[in-house]
Amino acid sequence: MPSRESFRESLRTCLAALLCCLLCAPSPLGLAQPPPQQAPPAANSGASLAQPANDANRHTRRPEYQSPEMQGDQRILQALNRFTFGPRPGDVEAVRAMGLDAWFRQQLSPSGLDETELNARLAAFPAMQWSVENLLYRMPSNAVIRQAMNGRGSIPDGPILHAVYENQIYRIDEKRQAQAEKKAEQAQNAQPGSQQNPQPGAQPGEGMNAAQPSGDSAQGQTAAADANSMNGGANAAPARQGDTSNASAASGAPVSSNTILNQLDQLSAPASQQTDAQPAAQKQPPIAQPMGAAAGQTSSADATANADPSQPLMAELMALPPGRRVARLASMQPEEFDGFIKSLRPAQRARLDADMAPGMKETVLDLENPQRTVAEELMAQRLARDVYSNAQLQEVMTDFWLNHFNVFLHKDEATPYYLVSYERDVIRPLALGKFEDLLEAVAHSPAMLLYLDNAESIGPDSLAAERAKMADFRRPNQNNVPQGLNENYGRELMELHTLGVNGGYTQADVIQVARVLTGWTVDQPQRGGGFLFAPNRHEPGSKKVMGKKIKENGEREGEELLHMLAERPATAQFLSRKLAVRFVSDDPPQSLVDRMAKSYLSSHGDISQVLLTLFRSPEFWAASDYRAKVKTPIEFVVSAARASNAQIENYQPLENALRQMGMPLYGCVPPTGYKWEASDWVSTGALVDRMNFALNLAANRLPGITVDWSADPSAAQQPSTQNDIQNAGMLADPSAGANDPAPEGPTPETEEARLEPLIVLGGVSASTRAAALQQFEVQIAQDASLIRPISAARPQSLNPQNRAKSVTALERQDQVLAGLLIGSPEFQRR
Amino acid sequence: MRMNRRFFLHNGALAVAGTAAIPSFLVRSVLAETQAAPNRRLVVIFQRGAVDGLNVVVPYREKNYYSMRPTIAIPEKQAVDLDGFFGLHPSLAAFKPLYDQGHLAIVHAAGSPDMSRSHFDAQDYMESGTPGVKGTEDGWLNRALQAEDANIALLHRCAGTCEEHTAFRALALGPDVPLTLAGKIPSIALNNVNGFTIAGRGPAPSPAASAFEAMYADTGDQLFHAAGDETFEAVKMLRAANPAQYLPANGAEYPNSEFGNGMKQIAQLLKANLGVEAAFTDVGGWDTHHAQGGVNGQLANRLGDFSASIAAFWRDLGDDAENVTLVTMSEFGRTAHENGTGGTDHGHANAMFVLGGRVNGGKVYGKWPGLSNEQLNQGRDLALTTDYRAVLAEVLTHTLGAENLEKVFPNAGIDPSRFLRLV
Repeated sequence: MPSRESFRESLRTCLAALLCCLLCAPSPLGLAQPPPQQAPPAANSGASLAQPANDANRHTRRPEYQSPEMQGDQRILQALNRFTFGPRPGDVEAVRAMGLDAWFRQQLSPSGLDETELNARLAAFPAMQWSVENLLYRMPSNAVIRQAMNGRGSIPDGPILHAVYENQIYRIDEKRQAQAEKKAEQAQNAQPGSQQNPQPGAQPGEGMNAAQPSGDSAQGQTAAADANSMNGGANAAPARQGDTSNASAASGAPVSSNTILNQLDQLSAPASQQTDAQPAAQKQPPIAQPMGAAAGQTSSADATANADPSQPLMAELMALPPGRRVARLASMQPEEFDGFIKSLRPAQRARLDADMAPGMKETVLDLENPQRTVAEELMAQRLARDVYSNAQLQEVMTDFWLNHFNVFLHKDEATPYYLVSYERDVIRPLALGKFEDLLEAVAHSPAMLLYLDNAESIGPDSLAAERAKMADFRRPNQNNVPQGLNENYGRELMELHTLGVNGGYTQADVIQVARVLTGWTVDQPQRGGGFLFAPNRHEPGSKKVMGKKIKENGEREGEELLHMLAERPATAQFLSRKLAVRFVSDDPPQSLVDRMAKSYLSSHGDISQVLLTLFRSPEFWAASDYRAKVKTPIEFVVSAARASNAQIENYQPLENALRQMGMPLYGCVPPTGYKWEASDWVSTGALVDRMNFALNLAANRLPGITVDWSADPSAAQQPSTQNDIQNAGMLADPSAGANDPAPEGPTPETEEARLEPLIVLGGVSASTRAAALQQFEVQIAQDASLIRPISAARPQSLNPQNRAKSVTALERQDQVLAGLLIGSPEFQRR
Repeated sequence: MRMNRRFFLHNGALAVAGTAAIPSFLVRSVLAETQAAPNRRLVVIFQRGAVDGLNVVVPYREKNYYSMRPTIAIPEKQAVDLDGFFGLHPSLAAFKPLYDQGHLAIVHAAGSPDMSRSHFDAQDYMESGTPGVKGTEDGWLNRALQAEDANIALLHRCAGTCEEHTAFRALALGPDVPLTLAGKIPSIALNNVNGFTIAGRGPAPSPAASAFEAMYADTGDQLFHAAGDETFEAVKMLRAANPAQYLPANGAEYPNSEFGNGMKQIAQLLKANLGVEAAFTDVGGWDTHHAQGGVNGQLANRLGDFSASIAAFWRDLGDDAENVTLVTMSEFGRTAHENGTGGTDHGHANAMFVLGGRVNGGKVYGKWPGLSNEQLNQGRDLALTTDYRAVLAEVLTHTLGAENLEKVFPNAGIDPSRFLRLV
């Protein structure tokens, strides 16, 4: 990637220089005027780029022709702001060079785009390419583990997977034991005096009930599933000893390391082409026993330097080459492995797999916690695409449809697994295609069928229901599982997916739709099965939906229904408005919505056509909408990462930020999805979170995420002549930089002028700039040493090699400025 | 530093950052008012997703209840009896002492008269306080605070607002301001009290925080200007109140759940004398279409967390509880019949809880419409006999002192003479 990297950098610096010059022109800061030859033919557009249309405070120099539409580069920025997750440095130039129309067309059919960089990043997540079935087998859910424990499923023989399963069995046992103990303790405490206790809060069983929902991720559904499985907690406890010894009998047998390595190779197959480590590892002799004479290897320096005397195991592991390290981890007893992993500090844990190929890293995570690994990689790959994909519109639309057809990550234990396929196989490939295809694919997707309960819905007069009634009759006390209709999907299909709540349907229609869709279910959801139409669950007879008769026709009834819903004018209106709210404004003009709806109907729901209509509509280019949409958290977080050209090794800080800001990925519980209007996302708490995120991102305080604000990142430490030339035009007052390390170094003003056009395309207001600078100068005047403590404050990092270098005063200054710009009011809009 | 339209004042206690002299007439009027209505603290909890009221407050004497719910009904023996007809779900056992002490009242068959079964619409209607009317931009609780202002202005014969409020007057525990609190009166939303600080938690604002403050104060962007105002005031107040090490009082133990933590932080902020008058939080996970369970299971777990959190809140407040009123609501109830998948679908009327030091508790209020087939709404749900707005209106008149109920609930036709007299 180096050539690509440097290309981007040169683009970035060119852009920086150009935009700086343009910006300086109307600036009140008294910076140098741009050389005349720098003024491009599109001088007007340059000026307007620097002057947000809705900024009252700014000293303005308007073009003589007052147009209600955006002009020149404003149009480019508008397109980038709305159809991407935010411009990266250099994007404006790239679009200008190829032409806005051509760029948009390319975005509508992105298959030919070069995704080398993205693909390299996605290679970190091999498991995300697997089938759901394979994923559930190799990274088992709790349900799969419980089946293995009950004897209803089997534990794989291969040593790595065997260890994965055994570790999970151990974990579940530990949890059950802890719960049983807690229960017993509470039962004991609750006995005496509970009747007389007048104080609230001391109710017997209260804590017990409460503890369950707060379990894993505090989401009711998962917890419920967990709790259900824990019904036999008290019984399970005594059996634990046996289980564990069983486990040790199975995994404790000496395992040939070659077998492990073969297994490992198999497990990480998709990544094996990218790594040299693997073949090398395979040639290694069988694993040496603890503390072999492995010193002298490349990793040994690391191992000895960082060895914690209390953890000889860590030293031993670090002395092994990566492949054999994985094998050693897999050969540990569950208890030993659990204790070891828990004893690691974050930095140690990071070092454990820092030199491993992606498939091996994944294996270590799998050994730790397969369920978390799946959910974690799902989120990470999504963010990687949002930040790095060149097919930005496709990713934005993928986000749009994932929200439109919302599925909540913690609906049940299988959901994270099905979501991998849902996003990859259903949503993304169809995000710019025909709506009806998308609707069909969603209706057939196990993720949706399970989320909105249609998988369980059974026709009241179907064969399956009849049989269940007979069973009830024969064995009335068996508490048989109820068999009947579930309206959930039927309702949301019309209200949220197609017609909209005022789309002209009634409660009777909801029931009819639910009947039509009976039998649409999932084949063995615990094992990752696919769509299944079960004729014996399907409600017999014809149905009538919104006045239209649907003749009895099994699975085809549902297809007829979906076709009908996709073609309804109400659907065209509903979808067009929702798209317009996302791309244009919180309250889009009806004229625009009508034009889009018309385009939808005439193209039979071609989403690309509808977007093209939007792109060509004057309403989209209304000057009043320039940088007017408030960014939702996902848009803010991703646009910040893109604007700062962040190099992301670890996506968790971004996921956490989204959670904190109230927009966790795949985390919307109700089927409504998140709203896209400003009112939902502007609040005190949100602002605090955004400002802190901005400062942390810009100052490299998010572990595993690196940003570099130096003018020329490759020569960050010593400004080159090239740098000086680039800065020369902006050095209005060299004496202002008295506190800087380099005698002729840049001043806060010049740095601000350099960073602003990189981060906030279109610029910030004079008052925002002044606030950033003034405060900055106050800080320097008050205490020049303020710069020092922060640089040393947080040395811990997931990738130490990135963080080892100390931060110079100039870099620190850039970090604060950049953080202030990302947290500025201007950056909160797009 | 900038001193703007607010002073930080509550119950005569002063927590001012910047300390400008406060006009004495203002102090007087605030004191006068707080003495007149010292219990102006209202906590609103929204159970998003439509909780199944019939399994929350169980009409265990209704035969049809059991025939309609063959697998999920709460057996009479396991319901926590309230009055010989209704019983609480066993997971709500923590509510029983509050009920017995007369602090907890229940209103059954209450809710929004609108027939919508859409979560989206029904929540919006409920929160705006205008069922059936779309596009209402402010929430009932915000209008109630406006009505409170108008009322006080009238009492003290001053134009506009003669009483100043703190940034914490209207508070949402969560990432955003809900529609319930949206409107003219500023409100703040925060997720986590301890994280509510910019660029570190020092005794003084960091330079970066000051830069942000100036930036947002001077911006021409009205929306962010206003949000910035709220934010920086609230951050300063919270810094002054120093909330870092909060320990619940009276041995209260909150569940370590999102809702439990939310309730704990509301208690913390109420006790910190920051001027909180209205607090809101929500709790999800009630949309039990599938396998909702009976005595145990999905709903039971949610209810356990719900009641334990509220009971801990009550205990934590101790003597302060005297001046706090808490009310719960959910967008609609669920079908009286269990559905084909061991759950319940979207229904109509529901049960509300009202908890407070001045509540006439220990009673299930409201007219019971019955559960026989012909008594059901549209043949499928518990019928509605009490408009939730009547309950809220009564609570409001006794807490925030909002007299102009027509302003709070336009066209609701609320008649105070027909209040349930539960406060």
